[in-house]
Amino acid sequence: MLALDIKKLNKTYPHFQLKDVSFQLEKGYIMGFIGSNGAGKTTTIKSILNLVRVDSGEIHVFGKELTRNEIELKQEIGSAFGDTDFYTRSKIKTLTNVIKTFYRNWDDNAYYSYLKRFNLNENKKIAELSTGMKVKYRLALALSHGAKLLILDEPTSGLDPVARDQMLDIFQELVQDGEISILFSTHITSDLEKCADFITYIHNGQIVHSSEKEQFIDHYRLVNGRADQLDGVKDLLISSKSNSFGFTGLIHTSDLKSSLDLKSSIPSLEDIMVYVSKKENSYV
Amino acid sequence: MYNLLLKELKLGVNPFFYFLPFITGALTLIPSWLYFFVLLYFCFITVPNLFAGYKSQNDLIFTSILPVAKTNIVKAKISVVVILELLHMVIAIIYGVISISLYPDITYYFFAPTFGFWGLCFVMLAIFNLIFYPIYYKTAYKYGVATIASIAAALLFAGGAEWLAIQNSFVHDVFKGAGADNLLLQLSILAAGIIIFALFTIIAYYMSIKRFEKVEI
Repeated sequence: MLALDIKKLNKTYPHFQLKDVSFQLEKGYIMGFIGSNGAGKTTTIKSILNLVRVDSGEIHVFGKELTRNEIELKQEIGSAFGDTDFYTRSKIKTLTNVIKTFYRNWDDNAYYSYLKRFNLNENKKIAELSTGMKVKYRLALALSHGAKLLILDEPTSGLDPVARDQMLDIFQELVQDGEISILFSTHITSDLEKCADFITYIHNGQIVHSSEKEQFIDHYRLVNGRADQLDGVKDLLISSKSNSFGFTGLIHTSDLKSSLDLKSSIPSLEDIMVYVSKKENSYV
Repeated sequence: MYNLLLKELKLGVNPFFYFLPFITGALTLIPSWLYFFVLLYFCFITVPNLFAGYKSQNDLIFTSILPVAKTNIVKAKISVVVILELLHMVIAIIYGVISISLYPDITYYFFAPTFGFWGLCFVMLAIFNLIFYPIYYKTAYKYGVATIASIAAALLFAGGAEWLAIQNSFVHDVFKGAGADNLLLQLSILAAGIIIFALFTIIAYYMSIKRFEKVEI
């Protein structure tokens, strides 16, 4: 079953456009949503929460169309925006007491067990929480109202390596039972190498590639060659960088032939992101 | 809807604004003052502060993430202001009754705090609401222009009413002459004011939800 099914989303702003954004997230998996700043990650996420009105396209959550079932679906969606705080001078307790009245499946026992587990003191004010604690609080809220789909916008940005690692462990634990699905956007690609099952890469408002992580990486190869080889293979490369030893470039695996006589290796997600965006930018 | 209203009352409104009506209401005890200001202080102080709070606390996105209908978000915001307006009115009226019994033989240059006058205050707040909300809900966060425009309209109404009661013998008679002692007439004006207040606020609500539907968050 699909937790999230996005079909041909289009949205035009004066200086930015989402073009035919489509991808699917299977129930029980973690999808990393990557892209550079301004690529359209947050706009897409806001569309999933129906915060922006899309020009065309469809979003289905657990098989139900979003705009027609918004209120019902929001009961099952938990969200966190890494950089946006709400009512920061209020205590956790005050905020929770207000928020819980909106959810019919609110579970107080689950809430307190998450508070304990995440080391959150309910008498603290939101402003007193560290960035990591704030994300954990949002997660505790989402999980206590029985959210089955977590939409997290940059939940790991601004966290120290230890807190990030902890967060990723929590994500993996959550999806273990196959009930909860997570879509999280990030520009820290190493996070995804650790825990994502699927990768969706967006650039300039368009999906470059969306697939299972290994398949995603396998789709590309990083190649090294001598400077004099560059002209011969340039058309096959997605993009390349020259250095004193020759050049390094990214190529579609299907375009890589042994006759090219290039040294190839498996790229990291960061390599893919850097080289693909380099190509796209060269068109502009 | 009830939970949204409670959210507004608990999170959105600083407790100070529940206390403010007791201070501004006490201004009614100033003999022969321009009593429209008693209610105007609500427009000057409470409204911009309340909506500045919403803006700084990212209330729009906070509320929009909750499983609630967009129309109810508007309804709750308008309801909370109406509750505060009624609080201001009721407390001012009580102070008004005290004021009249305190100074029985005073000369009023402007409106005396009679029931008819409070009816006019309801009309003033009705105009305020009608102007404020539709402008505010063009963006759902910019409150500056909406506040200035609605305060200007309320001031114009208050100034116009005071002027008319001095210049026009009929209006003068109703509010300051023989009509002032006619309790039935005074209460009818109050009732008419309340009806206009309700009507204008409902119109403001429908205009606001139409605009808020188009707002991107």
